[in-house]
Amino acid sequence: MLMDPALGRVIARWRDGDRDAFEEVVDRYGLQLLRTARLILRDEALAEDAIQETFLKAWQRIGSLRDEDPGPWLTRIAMNESISTYRRRHRFQALTERFGRLGGGRREVSSEARLDLALALDQLSIEQRAAVALHYYQDLSVEETARTLKVPVDTVKSRLKTALRRLRELTGSEEALA
Amino acid sequence: MSDDFEKNLRDHLHHEAEETREFPRRLRGRIRDGIAPRTRARMVPQLALAGALVLVAVAVLAFRNPTIINVVTTDIKSILQPSPSPTPKPFTCSDQSGGTLGQTAQLTAIRAASHESDGYDRIVFDFNGGIPSWDLTRQESATFVRDASGQQVTLDGNAGLKLVFPGADLGSSVPADLMPGLKGVREIANVGNFERQLSYGIGLASSQCVRVLELSGPSRLVVDVATSGGPSATAAPTPLPTAPPSGTDLGPFTCLDHSGGTNSGSAMQLTAVRVAHQPGFDRIVFEFAPQAGATAHVPAYTVSRQASAKFVKDPSGLPVTMRGSSGLRIVFQGASGVTSYSGSRDLTPNLPVVQEVEQLGDFEAVLSWGAGLSQASCIRTLELTNPTRVVIDVQTP
Repeated sequence: MLMDPALGRVIARWRDGDRDAFEEVVDRYGLQLLRTARLILRDEALAEDAIQETFLKAWQRIGSLRDEDPGPWLTRIAMNESISTYRRRHRFQALTERFGRLGGGRREVSSEARLDLALALDQLSIEQRAAVALHYYQDLSVEETARTLKVPVDTVKSRLKTALRRLRELTGSEEALA
Repeated sequence: MSDDFEKNLRDHLHHEAEETREFPRRLRGRIRDGIAPRTRARMVPQLALAGALVLVAVAVLAFRNPTIINVVTTDIKSILQPSPSPTPKPFTCSDQSGGTLGQTAQLTAIRAASHESDGYDRIVFDFNGGIPSWDLTRQESATFVRDASGQQVTLDGNAGLKLVFPGADLGSSVPADLMPGLKGVREIANVGNFERQLSYGIGLASSQCVRVLELSGPSRLVVDVATSGGPSATAAPTPLPTAPPSGTDLGPFTCLDHSGGTNSGSAMQLTAVRVAHQPGFDRIVFEFAPQAGATAHVPAYTVSRQASAKFVKDPSGLPVTMRGSSGLRIVFQGASGVTSYSGSRDLTPNLPVVQEVEQLGDFEAVLSWGAGLSQASCIRTLELTNPTRVVIDVQTP
């Protein structure tokens, strides 16, 4: 995607190491990325950690940005960071739960429960939530979602299909499928 | 295929996302810290190597000539001792600025004490990492405007000093408000900690002259406030300067911050900003109109003088450097130009003193503009009606 000239000048300054220019990019894309990470991670502090890492990596890796709108590039980094952050947290949580030091975590749901969408989204896998957030929140096509997550298109289709079925089940909307 | 469930999901995700209303300042700060140069960290290996070489050299010398130990010890002591206080400067009754531009530092402590026998109260700001740039402005009241929020805060006292440190962070153990209750210095309060710019308001018993000293080892900024009748204040405190009116009956120019208007009723709408030169002064006019069905009033405003043309945008926190070497920050409470003002938000009139006038923020009915001046100048403000206007006259040479 081609950049508008003003944004191109900001990116050029960023490439020259101009921190003010970089902060303009943070201002421009930060909120959208943070909201997406929050939808995926379901935790404000984790989302902030992921977006902090996203921008720090972006600052270091500006050389890998081609002459394109940085939005999709930043989103790719943010998705990687969100999933990595979740996995790190999940491993730690599993370890601490084993020793009984950290309770909570994922909410237990009975099969009879009729959850609202927020609780139902908690029950999806991190990969499913990433696909759902990009496709239904960021309005990316299935192909764009696949490119952003660096997985095949069929994998995204499968994740979306499974996620929707699970959400319908959890919210009591499965009859809508018929 | 899209159905109602997918539509509901999409709506829900947007609704949930919008619960995060803004990009947190703390996160922006963490990112900024993360990209800041880390010269010290990079130099650690080199410094360690250099230190090891020095130790080896000293050991060899000591082995060959034991008296060298005394010499080295004496030299090290002289390096580590705090620098002696410089010869006291005279007290002056003007705004001041100093420090090192671009220096980032952390404020670690604030102390205040009376030196009554010497005729002043002393405030000490301790820094870790050098003395950052600072701007000290005097004002005729103890009311200050908090950075970013624009809220007013009134400290103990009848006059004030505003001390701003661009490029400084606040240490966790520094109290937000000190009330030393001294003869001259009544209260010291943090009035801004936003995007690495620290601001302090100092409430004074009365308008007094000040002197500022920069000391090292450890880094300290010392603000001495003269107390009336002090025997050794080099310059006796004088009233704040007042310039005569320039041939009209519009009131005197004063070298102070100004405030006025009222914050009542519905927000006034900015409709025009004009800048022009008149004999003896440059004039900045902000014109307002009431919302439909509302009564016109002059919105509450403050005009704060500052010793640089650098400003911080509200609420983004982005730095803005305007033309000139001095500045005015104009903040209206209960006013906005979002839907009513279609003119330029960055005027560069190149008048004798007013070099640039730019909008700094228009957020939640707090409207901020800045003016870059070619030199520090005295001002007067006028409130006019039909239409409602706030006029700022900046005295020219």
